[in-house]
Amino acid sequence: MIDSLLFVALPYVAVALCVVASVFRYRSDRYSYSAMSSQFLEHRGLQWGSAPWHVGIILILAGHIAIFLFPRLSASLLSVRPVLLVIEGAGIAFSVLCVAGLLVLITRRLTSARVQAVTSTMDLIVLAVLLVQVVLGIAVAVHYRWGAAWGASTLAPYLRSLVRLQPDSSFVTDMPMLVKVHIVGAWVFIALIPFSRLVHIFSIPLSYLARAPQLVIWSNLRRAERALAMKVAHSRRLFVRGAAATVSGGVLLGAGVLDKLARFFHGPALSDSQQAEVMESRLERIKSTVEQRELELERLKSDFIRIGTLEELDSKKGRYFTDYEMRPALAFRGDDGMPLLISAKCTHLGCTVASDVSDDGKILCPCHISWFDVRTGAPDPGSPARAPLPHLDWVLMNSEGAIVARRMPDGGTAKEEADLAGTSVYIAKRRGEVA
Amino acid sequence: MDVRAHVSMVFHLDKCIGCHTCSVACKNVWTDRPGAEYMWWNNVETKPGTGFPTKWEDQESYQGGWKLTGKNGKRELELRCQSKADSLLRLFYNPNQPGLDEYYEPWTYTYQDLFDAEEGDDQPTARPVSLVTGEYMDIEAGPNWDDDLSGSPIYAANDPNLDALSAEERAQLFEVERVSMMYLPRICNHCANPSCVASCPSGALYKRGEDGIVLINQEKCRGWRACVSACPYKKIYYNWKTGKSEKCILCYPRLETGQPPACFHSCVGRIRYMGVLLYDAERVPDAMKVEDSALVEAQRNTFLNPFDEKVCEAARQNGISEEYLDSARRSPVWKYVCEWKLALPLHVEYRTMPMLFYVPPLLPVMGKQSSGLYENQVDSFFSGIDAARLPVRYLASLFSAGNEQIVDKVLKKMMAVRYFKRSQELSDVDPDLVRAILREAETTPAEAEEIYAMTALPTVYERFVLPPIQREEAIEGTCAPDSCKGESGIGFVQIAKRGA
Repeated sequence: MIDSLLFVALPYVAVALCVVASVFRYRSDRYSYSAMSSQFLEHRGLQWGSAPWHVGIILILAGHIAIFLFPRLSASLLSVRPVLLVIEGAGIAFSVLCVAGLLVLITRRLTSARVQAVTSTMDLIVLAVLLVQVVLGIAVAVHYRWGAAWGASTLAPYLRSLVRLQPDSSFVTDMPMLVKVHIVGAWVFIALIPFSRLVHIFSIPLSYLARAPQLVIWSNLRRAERALAMKVAHSRRLFVRGAAATVSGGVLLGAGVLDKLARFFHGPALSDSQQAEVMESRLERIKSTVEQRELELERLKSDFIRIGTLEELDSKKGRYFTDYEMRPALAFRGDDGMPLLISAKCTHLGCTVASDVSDDGKILCPCHISWFDVRTGAPDPGSPARAPLPHLDWVLMNSEGAIVARRMPDGGTAKEEADLAGTSVYIAKRRGEVA
Repeated sequence: MDVRAHVSMVFHLDKCIGCHTCSVACKNVWTDRPGAEYMWWNNVETKPGTGFPTKWEDQESYQGGWKLTGKNGKRELELRCQSKADSLLRLFYNPNQPGLDEYYEPWTYTYQDLFDAEEGDDQPTARPVSLVTGEYMDIEAGPNWDDDLSGSPIYAANDPNLDALSAEERAQLFEVERVSMMYLPRICNHCANPSCVASCPSGALYKRGEDGIVLINQEKCRGWRACVSACPYKKIYYNWKTGKSEKCILCYPRLETGQPPACFHSCVGRIRYMGVLLYDAERVPDAMKVEDSALVEAQRNTFLNPFDEKVCEAARQNGISEEYLDSARRSPVWKYVCEWKLALPLHVEYRTMPMLFYVPPLLPVMGKQSSGLYENQVDSFFSGIDAARLPVRYLASLFSAGNEQIVDKVLKKMMAVRYFKRSQELSDVDPDLVRAILREAETTPAEAEEIYAMTALPTVYERFVLPPIQREEAIEGTCAPDSCKGESGIGFVQIAKRGA
């Protein structure tokens, strides 16, 4: 409930507020749009505060936006370890620059009498929110390392789901508290924009870069029309030139496309083996979809899912299966000869844990090197993962379908005196639902 | 030929008495508001002196105006303060923007204390309080702190124009007995090639097409402050309260109703002239790309003769009305700048093509006191110029980008007019001598008579030849004025307040 409020409702409210209120303020009180610089009153602090802060935060935000816009590209880039190291290092450096700048700005706001003469409550709120937000960002980066890498696969899909109007908060609900607060902070920041000096973000004068140096405006309408006509004549010349370039470029491009089209219809066909390859890969994709659907159906219909016979389980090499929540899990044979079922979804960021058990009885999540003890599920101290992998409930059934053993809610085993040979291991739908 | 009309100005410095009436008139009309107290859209400086803001002429530190760059043998004008590339970085911190301390901290006095003080042995006092912080303060600077050379060793000696003088000339200038000074009233020059407009990232600054007034659209201004450092005359001020930049608007609401600007109207010495100049906008960029010493002449060459029928025809085609052309023909500015060539632009080397011109002051030593008698020195007609108390070189660094010949010519002509009138009124100068003087000053008795009349006897209608201006043109003739209310003229009537 609170999650959908913070991660689904708040984002939409914040963005809507930001857009509507900014437009309203622009239309009704354009005069109030200003960068509100206080350099005139105090310049030394501003120099060491404003410049580092703006440069730092612009680069940091650019990084956030790049990962959101190109998650796959950045994920593949960041899988190269040196690139990841450089990006993470730069991120930390720039965010420290931000904090330093911000602290200078806050200090001068609180100490300079002249700056205080132009300080509003909202200015202080904005500074506080920014400071909290940047410090949280640094804390996340230090605490949950390699955020640039996992952000692409966990946070980008969340934002995309919001943009597609199919909000899915499950991407962030599993996140650690620090990350969650950072995300909430971001939405609060966006909601603050139209009500504070932050509106200057919308005034970045990029058009200046392409502008002619002088600007003449005629208030005499007839003369203004004439000036416009002169401008139109000039732009007509530019248009003709541009059109000529576009047409010649288009002709070249068209020739290329036509060439490709002609080859498509009249060129050499694929060889039998190539065609077979294409067919195979399509079939493969369909098959995997069917498998997935079958699994889902099975889980809907049946109370028990068979994993295999007890004999098939091994204590050193786990057997992968999919649990009722369609998450990966591993089946081992425990020391007591009973099955040992453990979730294989890493509690750090959800990678699948590897199936091989090391000599000291541990399994490894290869993404960020988290070792988990198979028997207890607990991660090694120092691993990125903090929470243990949970064990799953199981039942043993003999060939007649009678339950001969099961895992108890306390983790112990309830066993009937019967021959366990030839029995099969099942996972139960949900604790308590199995009669 | 792209003919444009420009409402331009001449200040006759020989007549300026340094009374600051213009400054006060302006202040009372426009800048008596929170955040604007420190602004003086019109101010009067004593020269030599550092001016307001302090050392505004020192472009090494303020980086105002244009610089000439030669790339591949082709001359280009570039803003001195920023390139397009670094303009975005300067939004965060502008290293060349003058701060409040370069101007002065505005203050008032606790006058109420004079009434509320309890009875005691001492006189009650009104202490100064800052108009920025509201706290008690020590007054350390003001807008005309070095007025009348007060504190010359501290202020006047720092005048950047003195760099042109030799050590000896400086010593002479500051020799206490011979101490000499002039007044320099300054408003926005409403330049034809304004660097402030070119520097504005938001595109809020613009030149009004009809009359060339440079204005800031307060709704478009985002307070990036690039214009403050780009203007070499430091005539754009940042309002620290509203977060917007402001500047002299040449009292356009007054102009539009046929009145001269407040500072012009109130001028006690009647030193100010206002009239239309026609200029060729196409020639402007190239005119400002010549050598420093040729700049004054190059600027004059962009002005068009309103008596030339070809110019008038091109002007009409450009939408300039007959009334405008008529006032251009009667313009005192045209006479001073182009006909008589007496008025010169201030610091033309900033290459912004200022449209406010100054007639330099004539301060020659005309006579000296010997054995208790005052004696005129007429042995050499113009020796007075060479021995002018303000060195010609100093005037040249102010008004002709260092070209002494130009200033010399102006002073000679002004001197010739004096001799001409003296011989006419007092008959104590030989008429032949006067003729020789006039010839050497390249003028004629008729012209000298005209100059005398325009300098000494002009009526208010001769000083201010205002064109029947925009107001009726801005409102299309076809629609009723009632339906255009708020769309033209003074339409912006929102109370200025600080945004969040």
